[in-house]
Amino acid sequence: MLRFPAAIAALLFASAAFAQSVTSGKALYEACEPCHGTGAASTELGPSLIGIVGRAAGARADFRYSRALRGAKIVWDASTLDAFLADPQSVVAGTRMPFAGIPDRSERASLISYLGALR
Amino acid sequence: MATTLKEREVVIVGGGLSAGLLARRLVPLGRDVLVLERGAPRNGSEMQLPSQRDDLRWSILRGLNQRENVETYTLRHAPGEDALPMRQLISFLPGFGVGGGAAHWNGLTWRFQTTDYVLRSHLESRYGKGALPADMTVQDWGVTYDELEPYYTQFEKLFGISGKAGNVRGEKRDGGNPFEPWRAEDYPLPPLETPEAGLIFKAAAKKLGYKPFPLPAANASRAYTNPDGMKLAACQYCGHCERFVCEAQAKASPNILLFPLVVGKPNFELRTHAEVFHLNYDRAAKRVTGVTYIDALTGEEFIQPASVVVLGSYVLSNTRLMLLSGIGEPYDPRTGKGTVGKNYCYQTVSGVGAFFEDRYINPFMASGSLGMVIDEFNNDHFDHAGLGFFGGAYIAAAVTNGRPIATRALPPGTPRWGLAWKAANAKWYLRSFGILAHGTSYSHRNNHLDLDPDYRDAYGRPLARITFDFPENDVKMSAHVTQKAHDLAKATGATIVSPAAPRRGPYDTRLYQTTHNTGGTIMGVDRATSVVSTRLQSWDAQNLFVSGASVFPQNSGYNPTGPVAALALRLGDDLASYLERPRVL
Repeated sequence: MLRFPAAIAALLFASAAFAQSVTSGKALYEACEPCHGTGAASTELGPSLIGIVGRAAGARADFRYSRALRGAKIVWDASTLDAFLADPQSVVAGTRMPFAGIPDRSERASLISYLGALR
Repeated sequence: MATTLKEREVVIVGGGLSAGLLARRLVPLGRDVLVLERGAPRNGSEMQLPSQRDDLRWSILRGLNQRENVETYTLRHAPGEDALPMRQLISFLPGFGVGGGAAHWNGLTWRFQTTDYVLRSHLESRYGKGALPADMTVQDWGVTYDELEPYYTQFEKLFGISGKAGNVRGEKRDGGNPFEPWRAEDYPLPPLETPEAGLIFKAAAKKLGYKPFPLPAANASRAYTNPDGMKLAACQYCGHCERFVCEAQAKASPNILLFPLVVGKPNFELRTHAEVFHLNYDRAAKRVTGVTYIDALTGEEFIQPASVVVLGSYVLSNTRLMLLSGIGEPYDPRTGKGTVGKNYCYQTVSGVGAFFEDRYINPFMASGSLGMVIDEFNNDHFDHAGLGFFGGAYIAAAVTNGRPIATRALPPGTPRWGLAWKAANAKWYLRSFGILAHGTSYSHRNNHLDLDPDYRDAYGRPLARITFDFPENDVKMSAHVTQKAHDLAKATGATIVSPAAPRRGPYDTRLYQTTHNTGGTIMGVDRATSVVSTRLQSWDAQNLFVSGASVFPQNSGYNPTGPVAALALRLGDDLASYLERPRVL
């Protein structure tokens, strides 16, 4: 009987899980999309999130951010996005984003991995 | 000196729900559509935090509504009285600006019922020909529910309505409205979360043997993409719906779901700050030739020729523009002759307060159409024989907001000022909710609209004059249903229940009741008793159509947006055909 080495099996499972997580992140992103469209340019309602992971908060030139977000001194990575998406107002008090947050940690993780893949 | 502009194919007066639905239908066909909106575009402070939450600016000072210093209405309670101008428009809120009332609405999205459309025939067949009072001028619409059902379904999909179906193609569903007429499909979205007040109300209603169900809402319970590919986000339960523009893109409106489909197309134009003075009417040809309007920013006057005109403005504006243009015969309450202005109706709303020592209601977690409702006492869902009135109300625990300035939930006996007043405010704000009875308004011979002989607007045109008081029928109805609401409030186990306070005359415009004015340009099968045909085509001008609640012959116990939209969607199909081949439809 042919057997995969354990490491390869683990890798396959991991990438399957990753793909699944990205799909569900895409579904979750539906709630963001009315304001954060998937275009390269920001809209009046929300900044474009393309390239958000690794970018500093309030850094896009084509969106008028709240003073709170401009002065937040946050660089968006998995951990800062996770905290922000859990409860936006508690992380950046005064953000104009009208969103109460995502209480479920695994949903946040899915969404963040989707954001990371957003091009 | 008015400048005459180039002729346009379809000119729609009013940039609200009707205009959005019609433009969505006609512009993709290549039809040239111009919308004239008297107010401003909406894309600024009204829809973004933090200014969106300005209770004073948008709610108390009514920042999205018609300005009384430009145009108001006069009111008298009976023919023969002198009417006086309403110095503040408080009892109802006419929209002003793109989106109109459908930008600042709460989002309650009902369907009128089978019997609503054939009200007179239905009541006469059930209770006998002589059962209706002689002065109750209710009429059949000339359209049936079955004809409109596909348009209701289409509208619910376009606007992403959240709710629980009670009757899908005749199959009854538990948890929905048992009195609902058949529907082709379930609601596109599940109901919103039930708030604490809804849970309390639901338990009480079940205890009394009623069948509570969630309010149907245009506040999206989750993110939604409609058949046009337009998107809604999920409601955040912030309690800033009515009187506000939703900042979360969760409340369906023409602004986010309809106009973006057509704005930027070469055959569509939305012209704002365009205050239409009158339609230009060729009486001999029985046609309208266009409209005359003023650019409210520059004061310039324009004649805009049109091959087809649609009146899609607010109820009172539709009627007033017909009167100012001399189209049709004004209604005369003494003789009952004439039709323009006839059958003006309102909504008969009352409520009961329930106060709980031991429950937290948290009214700030709210949405425009959030809560539970029963329909047992609405319309003709109960036997009216011997009751002395017709009609009824839905009874609901609707938690629409807990906004700081106007939320004053105070039990009876609370002092009107001072420390005890403050303490009661602090105590009961979190621990109370109202039970609403939202009732029918049936037309009465006296209640009508015409032009005021004395008072004029800022441009010198006569104001619309409202002659209205709650007819005896509706007062008796309100007494009956408000008692039922009171019984329900008692059954919740509330610590304190305020006394039943049914709606009575005289109509008091200092209290907000509802924006559901109806009638004035009513539809029907007979030109002697209606202003527009069953296809919403003017009897007096073949190329003039009227859209909106002004075509309702009387008002149902439900909120009117659903039927307004269903009729506008049907009018869209009719206009597509009419523009191919203009004729009497």
